[in-house]
Amino acid sequence: MIFAPGGMIHCATMAAPTPAQTLPLTGEPAIRLRRVLRRIEFVPALIVAGLLWQVASVVARNPTILPPPLIVLRAWADLLGGDLLDDVAASLTHLGIGYALGVASGLLLAALAAYSETVEAIVDPMIEVLRPIGAIAWIPLAILMFGVGGGVPIFLIFHAALSPVFVNAFAGIKETDIRLVRAAEALGASRATIVRRVVLPGALPLILAGARLSLGVSWMAMIAAELTGADAGLGWRIFWYQEFFATDKVMAVILTIGLLGYALDSAMRWLQTRVTRHRPQPDDAR
Amino acid sequence: MTRARRIAAPLLFFGGLVVLWEAAVRRSGDFALFPCPSGIAEAAFRRLNDGTLISAATGSLGRVLVGFAIGAALGTPLGLAMGLAPPVRRAMGPIVDSLRSVAPIAWIPMALLWLGIRGNAALFVIAYATFFPFVLNTVQAVQLVDRVLVSAARNLGAGRTLMLRGVILPSALPVILTGARISLGFAWGSVIAAELAIGIKVHSGTEAAVGVGQQMVNTLYFHRDVNALVLYMLVIALISLAIDRGLRGAQRALTPWRQT
Repeated sequence: MIFAPGGMIHCATMAAPTPAQTLPLTGEPAIRLRRVLRRIEFVPALIVAGLLWQVASVVARNPTILPPPLIVLRAWADLLGGDLLDDVAASLTHLGIGYALGVASGLLLAALAAYSETVEAIVDPMIEVLRPIGAIAWIPLAILMFGVGGGVPIFLIFHAALSPVFVNAFAGIKETDIRLVRAAEALGASRATIVRRVVLPGALPLILAGARLSLGVSWMAMIAAELTGADAGLGWRIFWYQEFFATDKVMAVILTIGLLGYALDSAMRWLQTRVTRHRPQPDDAR
Repeated sequence: MTRARRIAAPLLFFGGLVVLWEAAVRRSGDFALFPCPSGIAEAAFRRLNDGTLISAATGSLGRVLVGFAIGAALGTPLGLAMGLAPPVRRAMGPIVDSLRSVAPIAWIPMALLWLGIRGNAALFVIAYATFFPFVLNTVQAVQLVDRVLVSAARNLGAGRTLMLRGVILPSALPVILTGARISLGFAWGSVIAAELAIGIKVHSGTEAAVGVGQQMVNTLYFHRDVNALVLYMLVIALISLAIDRGLRGAQRALTPWRQT
């Protein structure tokens, strides 16, 4: 089963594609103006959303229940000069270690499973059994195994990252066009060359799709693990501020989580288009 | 590899693994620290008999269904609007994208503040988690509708309502339903996360709002029962499998014109 990218589509990618390279070449100022206008069309919507938020917080009449947007922005600016960077660093450390381990193990397992049918017969059902448990369900056991600390988020991120990468990489390798392999063989390519020049480039789009999916799931798992079983990181900090009912800071951390998550996903999307420019993107397939 | 070997290899492997597991735990004699198959079976029997397993599972599932319904009711119309009207899409797209990037579970502290611990905070998280897959898949579904069909219907004089009801919705439904399946899987993951977080944060003795997540926290911190912990993990896996299989079946039954 292949992870369809159906759940992770970007609205931005679905807007009419505007090739950036050709932008300066179109001489028509009207067209250029319209393009710029299209890019900033979300600004009024953002302002309306901010106003609605402001109205809601006025109606709530309690800045602790719903801090108004400007207060949250101020809290955010304060935090940027203080604790927030430490929390971001802690979270990114958890993510970096767990994600690297998960992706590496997923790729290794996929390669082994593609190489040997016996490994496939064992690993594939194992992943299929483990996958529905999901990373989140491991939290209590992870707390028991590693204690409250960095181990819980790292283990969870590892677990969350592994299976999408495995499933997609395995499918990608399996879908290698056998005619290409035969042709390479006939032309005298060695095994290593075939893997490097035929199998990997063919599997790369799916591998990257899996890696991007993994990153999204890992991000969620990280926040959940930090909320429940860590002593550092963005998720942990949310509850820490909530203890003092500093909800403006809670909202500021939530904002940070959203922005960072968005940045990470955008980076992966950029990598996807960059590395696999030679083929149609699964996301933009239309 | 023959079919028999394909089936036998994993069975033998896993059977051997279970036996080895049991033997290893018995040898170590440390039943408090390591879960073992017989212990899990015993925990299952005990918790099925006193009803905690069933009530926890139905509690969580009930919350998932309500949250899912809220997410669907809010997400599908927005997705339709964004899919049908490009200005709406361009205006709402960045907002949806940035809100979507916030892990639903991160809202737990605010949700606790707004809605209290009696299950409603988890409900908010579930609705939040299901809302975005619904929006995105509906947008994509509408955009994937065959333009030829739309033009043909327009040429034949179809009005707005007929176009929506007769052309766009039927061809968009399969993709929307795929979104529903992703959403429900997501919802099940988030209800566990939400209940775990609430359970760890609020050591409530209240049995009213208890779900699988809170039971796991109780098991971890009060009963210290590793076997029951693994049992709950298996239950979580079984329910998520059932959700996935069930919705695949529903998808086939609801959209017979599109074989997936």
